[in-house]
Amino acid sequence: MDEKKSNQNQQAKSLSLTATTAITGFIGGLFWGAIALFAHFFKFSEIGPNTVLEMWAVGDWRTGWIGVVVSLLILGILGIGAAFLYYFTLRNMLNIWSGLLFGAILFVLVFFVLNPLFPSLNHISELKFNTIVSMICIYLLFGLFVGYSISYEYNAHMEREKNQEMKEVEKSS
Amino acid sequence: MTEATKIMKRVPESLTEIEDYMKERVGLGTSFDFGIRKIKVLDREIHFYYINGLVDTLFVIRSLEELVNLNDFHDEEVDDYFALIKNRINHQSVEEVKYLDEAVDQILSGLIAIFVEGETKVFVVDTRSYPGRTPEEPDTEKVIRGSRDGFVENIILNTALIRRRIRDERLRFEMLKVGERSKTDVSIVYLEDVANPKLINSIKKEIEAIEVDGLTMADKAIEEYILHQGYNPYPQVRYTERADVAATHVLEGHVLIIVDTSPSVIITPTTFFHHVQHAEEYRQSAATGTFVRWIRFIGILASIFLLPLWLLFVLEPELLPKQLDFIGPKETSSLPVVIQIFICDIGIEFLRMAAIHTPTPLSTAMGLIAAVLIGEIAVEVGLLIPEVILYVAFSAIGTFATPSYELSVANKISHLFLLILVSLFKVPGFVIGTTIIIIFLTSMRSLNTPYFWPFIPFQPREFMQILVRRSTPGTIVRPAIVQPRNRKKQETS
Repeated sequence: MDEKKSNQNQQAKSLSLTATTAITGFIGGLFWGAIALFAHFFKFSEIGPNTVLEMWAVGDWRTGWIGVVVSLLILGILGIGAAFLYYFTLRNMLNIWSGLLFGAILFVLVFFVLNPLFPSLNHISELKFNTIVSMICIYLLFGLFVGYSISYEYNAHMEREKNQEMKEVEKSS
Repeated sequence: MTEATKIMKRVPESLTEIEDYMKERVGLGTSFDFGIRKIKVLDREIHFYYINGLVDTLFVIRSLEELVNLNDFHDEEVDDYFALIKNRINHQSVEEVKYLDEAVDQILSGLIAIFVEGETKVFVVDTRSYPGRTPEEPDTEKVIRGSRDGFVENIILNTALIRRRIRDERLRFEMLKVGERSKTDVSIVYLEDVANPKLINSIKKEIEAIEVDGLTMADKAIEEYILHQGYNPYPQVRYTERADVAATHVLEGHVLIIVDTSPSVIITPTTFFHHVQHAEEYRQSAATGTFVRWIRFIGILASIFLLPLWLLFVLEPELLPKQLDFIGPKETSSLPVVIQIFICDIGIEFLRMAAIHTPTPLSTAMGLIAAVLIGEIAVEVGLLIPEVILYVAFSAIGTFATPSYELSVANKISHLFLLILVSLFKVPGFVIGTTIIIIFLTSMRSLNTPYFWPFIPFQPREFMQILVRRSTPGTIVRPAIVQPRNRKKQETS
């Protein structure tokens, strides 16, 4: 009886898969966005997180610090989307390559397909070499972060469930 | 090992036969430390075999006295001589052994063997007393407050130090013997109802599979056998010499490996972030602990990235934003900055290595020479520019702020790797190098545990525990990384 209760407690306390996916995506977007900001600040890359604001193209504030904060938050939210994209496609691949591949796909998606959405984002052939390298690396690492985390969490979740079932089978037999 | 030696020899009744065996196999009479004492008790011969440096002479004398006294005070008929002798060996740990090989093993590890004429069994008495120090504060993990008893070279004392802290009946110390010649004791420590049984089994299997003549480098050798590290510089297990740190990890569900003759204990499984924590953080208030930890993180990051970044700005000053354009050398030297950094960095490495094996009285003088002569005069001569010394020194201090010595050296290698890449390829070198390091750390697995956990794979709650030193009542669950059987640390209502 007591054991059952504590088991329930445990389950309530460990976050559900979707919540973890969302948090991972958000933090991933925020963190790697901040890294991109750093790269932009030191002119490794012409593109900073601010670029995402151009979809709405409003006022002067977007170049100031408010713009930075808002753009990071938006990147976080976009990160959630990316995380779910991974969750629905590649979640059962538990290795670093699927994450890196996911990052590469995201890069291609943003820089080749979604390119026209951002007016100031030049076509890839017009970007500096440094920018391209920095962006590819950040996308790869973002993909690795989100992908590996989700796959790992999913795997651990399945393992837990399997153990739970085995325990129940043991109990009932 | 041939088949013939595998067959164990039973204890013969004749004591001369035993003596011959000892002479032939163990070198009685040749090795000066292997001794024999023959006494006669109630008209029967009794032989004591011992290693003179490893036994506690006082106990042996007392047993001898007790047995010899039988000659004077025992006048009844003896019906069970063996039982009588056993009764008179005044020690709590007496075992009966039937095979000579086993007895020899025991003698060589410091027990005494008492052979009785006409009997096919032998008493083995645990009178071990190993040369060694008493527990003292380990040099590598000092704290301002807190217990000062560190592990020593004696496995029995080490297990006792852990048992003192965890009096749980579910705490297990499993003993294994490793090494064909050294027969080193290796103990696996865990909480039976908490630790992951798969991990315990895999460690046990790996240790049992070790085939080596001796483990003179103790824990390090065991680590290399278990983890198959190869040429990867990053440490895959954490070592500790502090008993409180070891006990904490046992309670968290980790499995420890203690190896006799080494004062450090192996903690498994470990991740990168186990190497950036220190007992001191848990001795201060949670806020101070967090502060100390953040400063430490800055130090560790600086030890890897500061110099490559600065070198990048020196090579390409146009990268600097307006606010920071004061960075960069004002003076110039005839040597390129890259070469200067390498000279200075290698100098620091000389210093660190020299400091390890320089006797203390000389090391003060050495520090003086290094600081004053090399630092000051190198600038005056025009070999180095002052900025190089500043940044190299800062990054070196960052290295020293890394709690794990192994990690600090591994970071140093990463840092040199980045420096080379930056000097060759500038920005792409730095960016790609950093990416490679992160991917490499993520791809590492130590005992089936992702090395960069809980950052990648990201686990929000556990990552918070790394960023913020939680208060003890606040840490309710055990870290998921050890896959504990029982996740809860504290039963909260």
